[in-house]
Amino acid sequence: MAVLTESRKASLRRELEAIVGAGAVLADPDELLVYESDGLTLLRALADFVVFPVSAEQVSALVRLANRESLPFVARGAGTGLSGGCLPAEGGLVISLMRMNRVLEVDYDNQLAVVEPGLVNLHLSWTVGARGYYYAPDPSSQQACTLGGNIANNSGGPHTLKYGVTTNHVLGLEVVLPDGEIVWLGGRTRARAGYDLVGVFVGSEGTFGIATKIVVRLLRKPPAVKTVLAVFDAIDHASAAVSAIIARGLVPAAVEMIDQLTIQAVEDAFGCGYPRDAAAALLVELDGLPFGMEAQAARIVQACRDAGAREVRTARDEAERQLLWKGRKSAFGAYGRISPAYMVMDGVIPRTKLPYVLRRVNEIVAAHGLRVGNVFHAGDGNLHPNILYDPRRPGEEARVVAAGAAIMRLCAEVGGSISGEHGIGLEKSDFMPLIFSAADLALMQRLKRAFNPTGLCNPGKIFPTSKSCAEVGPVASRPHAIEEKGLAQRF
Amino acid sequence: MQDALLDGLRGVVGPANVRTGIELGPWVVEGRTPDAAVFPASTEEVAGVVALAAEADVPVVPWGGGTAAAVGSPAARTGLVLGLSRMSRLVEHEPGDLTATVEAGITVAALQAALAGRGQWLSLDPPDAERATLGGVLAADASGPRRHLYGTARDLLIGVAVVTAEGAFVRGGGKVVKNVAGYDLPKLFIGSYGTLGVVVEATLRLRPLPEAERLVGVSFDRLKDAGAAVRALLASDLIPNAVELLDGAAAAALGAGVAPGAALVVGFDGLEEQVAWQCEELARLCAPLGGREARALPPETWPRLAPAARAALGLPAATMTLTVLPMQVAETMEQGANAARARGFVTAWAAHAGVGVVSAALAAEPAPPGPLAAVLAEWREMAHAGGGQATLEWAPLAVKAQVPVWDDPGAAGRLMQGIKRELDPRNILNPGRFVAGI
Repeated sequence: MAVLTESRKASLRRELEAIVGAGAVLADPDELLVYESDGLTLLRALADFVVFPVSAEQVSALVRLANRESLPFVARGAGTGLSGGCLPAEGGLVISLMRMNRVLEVDYDNQLAVVEPGLVNLHLSWTVGARGYYYAPDPSSQQACTLGGNIANNSGGPHTLKYGVTTNHVLGLEVVLPDGEIVWLGGRTRARAGYDLVGVFVGSEGTFGIATKIVVRLLRKPPAVKTVLAVFDAIDHASAAVSAIIARGLVPAAVEMIDQLTIQAVEDAFGCGYPRDAAAALLVELDGLPFGMEAQAARIVQACRDAGAREVRTARDEAERQLLWKGRKSAFGAYGRISPAYMVMDGVIPRTKLPYVLRRVNEIVAAHGLRVGNVFHAGDGNLHPNILYDPRRPGEEARVVAAGAAIMRLCAEVGGSISGEHGIGLEKSDFMPLIFSAADLALMQRLKRAFNPTGLCNPGKIFPTSKSCAEVGPVASRPHAIEEKGLAQRF
Repeated sequence: MQDALLDGLRGVVGPANVRTGIELGPWVVEGRTPDAAVFPASTEEVAGVVALAAEADVPVVPWGGGTAAAVGSPAARTGLVLGLSRMSRLVEHEPGDLTATVEAGITVAALQAALAGRGQWLSLDPPDAERATLGGVLAADASGPRRHLYGTARDLLIGVAVVTAEGAFVRGGGKVVKNVAGYDLPKLFIGSYGTLGVVVEATLRLRPLPEAERLVGVSFDRLKDAGAAVRALLASDLIPNAVELLDGAAAAALGAGVAPGAALVVGFDGLEEQVAWQCEELARLCAPLGGREARALPPETWPRLAPAARAALGLPAATMTLTVLPMQVAETMEQGANAARARGFVTAWAAHAGVGVVSAALAAEPAPPGPLAAVLAEWREMAHAGGGQATLEWAPLAVKAQVPVWDDPGAAGRLMQGIKRELDPRNILNPGRFVAGI
């Protein structure tokens, strides 16, 4: 698309301000910089405007204006995404939902809440916590990420092993469609007549429209929780313990794995009580009735011992439990202290392939002359290799991208997926042919056309840029279409 | 039907697997006989059949066990029944991954038996498990009482393989339990009644079989009190896997010695000690609310819960499913029964109360279509008033002519029609049967 002239830009700015108010439009380049990337800082792109609506009607008016002007637009929450999904692909509008952050209604009897998309995930659980309820999906960024962003990415988290991901907890959505119409998909009751539009909207990465109200299920807080830490001298043994737990018919709420590099980073930074010399640790959490909890915990402990754990202990109190979880949830922050930058991968594999794949991941990264820390949702096979690098060293970024590509290829080879919870976005779009055929992608394109026929709503995401979908094994260093146009850079 | 098409179909699936003429009795729906019934044995054969039908502009009706064949608006045109009974393999079951891949024609009972042999199950319990096939269960989004804890097909289906309206083979989702790559195509096909594609294969997440499971029935004199017990149960620390509310008629049909009035039937699973403790707690919780004698029900009761309302009336004149908020269930049942009684109908009611899904059946001898339609319209109004919805599950054609089967999906209907146009531009997959004229 053409670059906007200064005069055109000035008149558009006045129109935008007429919709959302003078204090709710950003257009100065240094202000726009804040919105040039999400949690994946490797990719950056500048919008023409960032706007802050406060109602569905304002969102609708913005979208209609964008359509009239053929301006691309993209919704943005807290910007904690990890795949470049909310980047303004080709200039245009960034529609920030951060001023729509209210809990509109809580219906405890029917165990649901109606919220706005800019509400921070954890704030919902805080709001309903006093009455004994919570919102189950708990992405590790839950202190910052928004429910709207969770909808776009179908976000997961450690406890999704037992409770499911975002899509399992959304009943209804008020949505501004890509043409500006406001519609309800689903509602407060379970089944609705017709196709499961809520089901296809969740996880559509902002390409089907913008959610402006969200009806979520609330769950009763489990009356009892028990957290077990198992320490291993070999990473293979930790992998085997995951399978052993599943094989014994146990369904913990969470099974997280943390490797040596990560343990050391976390201990240096926060001192959470993980043994620094361990090759890997498993954090296993059980929740449910107090009755039977001891018996189940004993089985977890036994499964870990049988798999070769050198030490297994149970958190004695809530403080120790919180400390162990702090170690898990602050791993990403801890990497920052040992490396100037890192890239998070998000592949998923069948659980039984864990020992083989973890070995291969470590080999692949080492072969590229880099270091990797693994901290991930082992229970459901969702890997998070974090490749550490220094962007100032020439050539290192290219090696990170190449190692990442090799890991995605590995996940696809063992029957897995290239993304478990972070989304495809801009980052992985060229890798879609690893797991989907041209026909699969063509059907997805048709579905997209039904929602987003002009393509103005979050363009350039999910689908491979290559004209030929049959070209499997994309060249990772090839510039993305928006880079070629000089609209984005890969730092 | 043109002979050329029949010859083509015989060429694809073999002459023995094409039924015509008087052989078509089992596939007659609401008095309409299909043009032919075809039984492919592979994905390639399904694709071949659909491609031939598309070319000849003949509708295709995917068919599993036929348990939901009469659900929906009367078909606009007759066509081919595409039966999937010859595609009934358990393709892959990896217990360590807690996943299984099946062909669409496998029955729920056959799948559960195979999984149970290895200590696992698909946590979905639709009625008619002996006949219902996985493909049909997905297409109709069928479920049962255990959905209270384990959800429905949308919570369990992780991958799907489909033959499209043009005869192309497409996969969505994958084989891993957590996956956000691409659009969530499995969701699109659940509950789509075969209007978007023919599901040929499904990958499902499984659970370990619980060590113990028990069903408890608590009798109440008044439905209202049983409703209050549902509220108390949901707000308690108990973790039931089923919460069923039945009126006197449906409770009697369970044949479990539950007294008239109403019954709250609750399931628990887990370790034996957890189940036993929860059963006792349930009795304690219900007693002050008017719950009398909590008694253990035999396991055979499980499959009789979902169809209890229909079964209570033998041959009902119509059945309807109302979806309301959980706390509106008891009142909906009461009001609905009163509205029907005022017009001379007897009714029976059974609900998955914890999730707000209510089944209602009504009967009268004779059942005049006019008043019948009036009652059903009132029921629908009742559901809408509380923000819910209603589906006319079964009724004679004369009644369907007066009362729409599906709710009007409102503004979302335009999106649904758009999706249908994109995926089935020639409108050959189950035309006219679904919402919004789809």
